[in-house]
Amino acid sequence: MSKMVRPGRPLGFLVGLVLLAALGGAFSSPPAARSQAADVLLNVLATGAKKLNIVIPHFTVVGGSDPQLGRSLSQVTARDLTFSSLFSVVSDVPPIPGGDPAALQAAFANFAAAGAHAGLQGLLTLRGDRAQIEMRLHDLTSPEFRLIGTKKIDLPAAQARRLAHKVADEVVLQFTGEPGVADTKVAYVSSRSGSKELNLMDYDGAGSTRVTSNNSINISPVWSPDTRSLAFTSYMRGYPYLYRMFPFENRPVQVLAGFLGINTSPAFSPDGRSVALTLSRDGNPEVYVLTLASGAFRRLTTHRGIDTEPSWSPTGREIAFVSERAGGAHIFVMDAEGANVRRLTQAGFNTQPRWSPKGDTIVFTSRQGNFDLWGIGPDGSNLRRLTAGPGNNEGASWAPNARHLVFQSNRLAGGYQLFTMLADGTEQQPLTRAPGESTSASWSPRLP
Amino acid sequence: MAYRRGSALLVAPVLVLSLFLAGCPKRPATTAASAPPPTGTPGPSAAAPSTPGAPGPAMTPSPAAPGTTTTPSATPPRPSEFRETDNLKDVFFDFDRYDIRASDARILDANAAWLKTNNDLVLIEGHCDERGTNEYNLALGERRAKSTMNYLVGQGVQANRITIISYGEERPTCTEHSEACWAKNRRAHFLVKAR
Repeated sequence: MSKMVRPGRPLGFLVGLVLLAALGGAFSSPPAARSQAADVLLNVLATGAKKLNIVIPHFTVVGGSDPQLGRSLSQVTARDLTFSSLFSVVSDVPPIPGGDPAALQAAFANFAAAGAHAGLQGLLTLRGDRAQIEMRLHDLTSPEFRLIGTKKIDLPAAQARRLAHKVADEVVLQFTGEPGVADTKVAYVSSRSGSKELNLMDYDGAGSTRVTSNNSINISPVWSPDTRSLAFTSYMRGYPYLYRMFPFENRPVQVLAGFLGINTSPAFSPDGRSVALTLSRDGNPEVYVLTLASGAFRRLTTHRGIDTEPSWSPTGREIAFVSERAGGAHIFVMDAEGANVRRLTQAGFNTQPRWSPKGDTIVFTSRQGNFDLWGIGPDGSNLRRLTAGPGNNEGASWAPNARHLVFQSNRLAGGYQLFTMLADGTEQQPLTRAPGESTSASWSPRLP
Repeated sequence: MAYRRGSALLVAPVLVLSLFLAGCPKRPATTAASAPPPTGTPGPSAAAPSTPGAPGPAMTPSPAAPGTTTTPSATPPRPSEFRETDNLKDVFFDFDRYDIRASDARILDANAAWLKTNNDLVLIEGHCDERGTNEYNLALGERRAKSTMNYLVGQGVQANRITIISYGEERPTCTEHSEACWAKNRRAHFLVKAR
């Protein structure tokens, strides 16, 4: 009687595990701690399916008077889950009435018969200035379509769109053991106004907002690990100083480094207590670490050539950087005290190292004709090309789950815009199509 | 990258102010220690991640607030206080290089000779072409300005008359995507200010 797809023998289960690892690399819980949803995904993958089929009817508005919001938010969640590349999504389906088990059974029975493995019901309540959603995740491969996950999320009504993102992230968590990355932001530089200004948008390109307007040059935004602040270089006072701004708070912009020469290329340490950066105050561009609490600068490199573009390992114990000490620009790694320098790249002109939040890959930009994105292991192994045109492809920034990258490309007419892809270079798709150029993307950690 | 820039970025307004260039080029204009966070009690809590359940920031960007910047102290004259001059000619660089070409040394000799006839302050801008990354090009532009400065100092121009600034690839003079155009952008450019 059971519709649940069960692997016939342990081998099938292992195949499922391998597939899941290939899909996400995020399944870190021991088997005993797996959620019921994770079992569903494993069993589906064991059948040879590449993605889990999920149906997302319009969210049911149970409190409040805006049925359109249930529809639009469900479609945001649907796009998030499609973007995750873990799911094949059917959406734009009428809502399932709340508190009506028979209606739910009838609706899901049709989708189960059509091949859906999971169904998501969202119960949306708008009350005063709060928006709340209860998500209910059902296993459509089981008898009675058992409930395998549920969560209530509450936010200010003005941030209702984040409810949809948080539902998507919870669904990904239920199935893989790690939350999705839909409730994140991308900071970037836009030349739309005629000068380069910092902008923020949701990770899917919605809600773009300019957060600087000083009519100078603002570049290199990077997020602090707590997502509250951005470090960036600006010419707002004439010279390239390093600043820190708090885009969601009414706090003044801080000067992090205002030495003569360049104050550029910031990177927050994983614990948020330090910023690695490039200063030329001692004669030529060198990598330093600024301790935020004390304001002390510690110099890490001492070569007479250019050293710049630091990027921390997720442990905070090592820093990748660009140096021309071997002739040309190459990627090097040193420990966080500046010792034990080792060279990673051997050919080409290589810049913009960006260490994966999982630690196993450093993505960088290599010029071999055009500029393209490559990946390499921190030990120099597994060098591979991620993009091969069209146009130039540069400036990658990792999503917090290390499965996606945002980057800039001038493959389309009109100059640089932002694109996303999976970490292996597949599924490249445009993110921005804005007036002016959109560059220097920084993908935020998950929002609190 | 070929950004379209507003004319405001391309024009250096002539503001002849009687500011005095103080200090040597290695002196810090300011440090983070002089600009502590308003709420920043010393200690790791200043930058610690917010705890789950704590009132998080409203994830709606507030409008940019010009004029709230912490003011750096002891800065050199602003770049906008320097003016263009026909008496100092640009020098140019090869791709990813910052050494002075032999043919350009004569240009710098002439620039040095002119600078020694007066007492003006000089701002040397280092520029790059659009290829390469913004951050690397800021470092490269810095090296170009510095190489140029070092050459002038070697010719007897006082170091304390010279300020350098790197614009990286941010202010090209030529915006076509061709080697002819890129070669024009890989340059050191000079501005002066009477003191």
